[in-house]
Amino acid sequence: MVLNWNDVGILYQRELRSALRDRTIVTNSVLLPIFLYPLLIWIVYSAVTFVSGQNEGLKSRIMLKDVPEAHVRLKQGFEKDRSIVLGSSLDPRDDIRQGLLDALVEFLPPKSNLGIDDNFSVRMTFDESRDSSDRARSRIAEKITNYREDFLERRAVQSGISREQFQNFWIDDQNLSSNQQISAFTIMLPIFFIIMLAVGAMHPAIDSTAGERENSTWETIMTAATSRTSILVAKYLYVATMSFIAAFLNLFAMMVSMGTVLAPFFQTGRGNSSLRIPLESAPLVLVGAALLALFISAGMMILASFARNYKEGQSMVGPFYIALVLPILFLQTPDFAFTPRLALIPVANVVMMIREAVQGVYHWRSIGVTLAVECVSIIVAVRIAVLIIQHEDFAIGTYNGSFGKFAKEWLLGK
Amino acid sequence: MSAPVLVRNLAKAFYDEGRGEIKAVDSISFECHEGEIFGLLGANGAGKTTTLRMLSTILAPTSGTATIMGHDVVHDPEGVRKNLGFYSATTALYPRLTTRETIEFFARINQYPSKRVPERVEYLIHRFGLEKYADARIEKLSSGMKQKVSVARTVAHDPAILIFDEPTVGLDVLNALDVQETIGELRAEGKTIIFSTHIMSEAERLCDRIAIIHGGQILATDTLAGLREITGQHYLEDIFVLFVKAGQETV
Repeated sequence: MVLNWNDVGILYQRELRSALRDRTIVTNSVLLPIFLYPLLIWIVYSAVTFVSGQNEGLKSRIMLKDVPEAHVRLKQGFEKDRSIVLGSSLDPRDDIRQGLLDALVEFLPPKSNLGIDDNFSVRMTFDESRDSSDRARSRIAEKITNYREDFLERRAVQSGISREQFQNFWIDDQNLSSNQQISAFTIMLPIFFIIMLAVGAMHPAIDSTAGERENSTWETIMTAATSRTSILVAKYLYVATMSFIAAFLNLFAMMVSMGTVLAPFFQTGRGNSSLRIPLESAPLVLVGAALLALFISAGMMILASFARNYKEGQSMVGPFYIALVLPILFLQTPDFAFTPRLALIPVANVVMMIREAVQGVYHWRSIGVTLAVECVSIIVAVRIAVLIIQHEDFAIGTYNGSFGKFAKEWLLGK
Repeated sequence: MSAPVLVRNLAKAFYDEGRGEIKAVDSISFECHEGEIFGLLGANGAGKTTTLRMLSTILAPTSGTATIMGHDVVHDPEGVRKNLGFYSATTALYPRLTTRETIEFFARINQYPSKRVPERVEYLIHRFGLEKYADARIEKLSSGMKQKVSVARTVAHDPAILIFDEPTVGLDVLNALDVQETIGELRAEGKTIIFSTHIMSEAERLCDRIAIIHGGQILATDTLAGLREITGQHYLEDIFVLFVKAGQETV
């Protein structure tokens, strides 16, 4: 079958014109990426911040046991701390298990006898499975550590040793990662990309296949004086365009519109995080987005084209959508390396490529493998779609929305 | 010069899990002459639509040949479709395009010379009385208006051959008459038309020649006068029943 690019242009224009007049498609591919998802993220992060703020305000119920008289200042420090309530219990361990007490602090004799006056050791008892108990442990540890440093420093000064002499060695942090690397935004970006590309492609993919069948326009276009390959390519490019637009608009909206609102939530505390993509990584991000759009569009169109109506199309494309997003969630640990072996896995490879590009890291060998694998995957997917669309039983909808029936009867020759 | 539509031993079989092989069309032959309305008259399931789908290249024949203006339906489907306008109950319009956009799109995609497309679109809008609705979306039009736009899109690229597969199904009397009148006018313009129907009065009124099709086979092909003479019956309904019964007895 001959591919006529002039016909593809005419068909593509028709698809796009119809789509931009369709409320569902405009909502899903244009409005949702711009407004809803950044808004949802803002709401979720606001809620998380609110809840964590609430937790910070919760008081820890702590029991102190056998505080040495020489360290009464430590006890006073606990009493003054507004986030701590001191209490007593006959069976503190049982009370901790039952959630009536958060932690028990026992002051014991020192573990080593170094001849230091008023030395002691501390045993903390808590229940790690409870957030409140774990939080109490952190608060106690911080308090005792601070007290110990202060205590030792005072003792050193009393012995005629300066702070510098006493300190002996220092720990100084030097973080080599850029702000881009430590930004949660860069970790989340690929997930948004996949979700947006899939959301952007889903309705156009169904509309241009199952939707045509439901509206009885399928046969109308099949009798047009152009090749079925041209029809398929035009539809495919249209779906990929809508997918790409959705992802691009979402990224743009996240960076520009919501950047100032979301920025405080994405800060790590070690410096200002960034909601911007470095200019030098933009070409690779765009190429990655285009490849993903083409791959996702092909997959969705193949599945949706067996459906007889919009509802069937949605139920057929739904699992593909989940299959795309789920593996990506597992890749979202910062330690996951973009190896050439990982680059062999479609979709996951582009996700890793984009993530590293945004961080300013370029593994060119893996990138090369990724581009090759994606191109081959896209070509295979399109080839399958062309084979399917040229099959006459498919053209008249004989398979009643069943990909399995088609595979059994045609591919397996039964 | 050969006939614009030439069908020889055309057959189509489908496979059904429950019933096995079904011969929807069983070795039919006919030809259509230039400027005539050729009627395919048959009951539901007789094989009319399958035959017309093969002629319009939607389905590939199991065996036999068919040519449209010299283009083979198997070997040159695009050439066939370029010379063909196909209209049926299952060929609807894009609801979100306007009347003007619809006609323009089908003229262009069916290879009408691009420079002459605007002129052709205006002609068809005027020809079918669509001026008031030219810029209205199809989804907003009444079913009568949609019917007119459908015919306009069928002839948008000015094809020599037109296929109307049960075009009046689901239409009220006035709209059905309107469609019949349009088909008559298209014949007057020199188009070769294949018209399938199960409504006897339509076939009587419109068709120059009629093929009676039943069980995937053509039982008779002639003018209405010829069929009357062969059977000795006056009404087409009686003629049709006579042939169908004879066909069943033969089987």
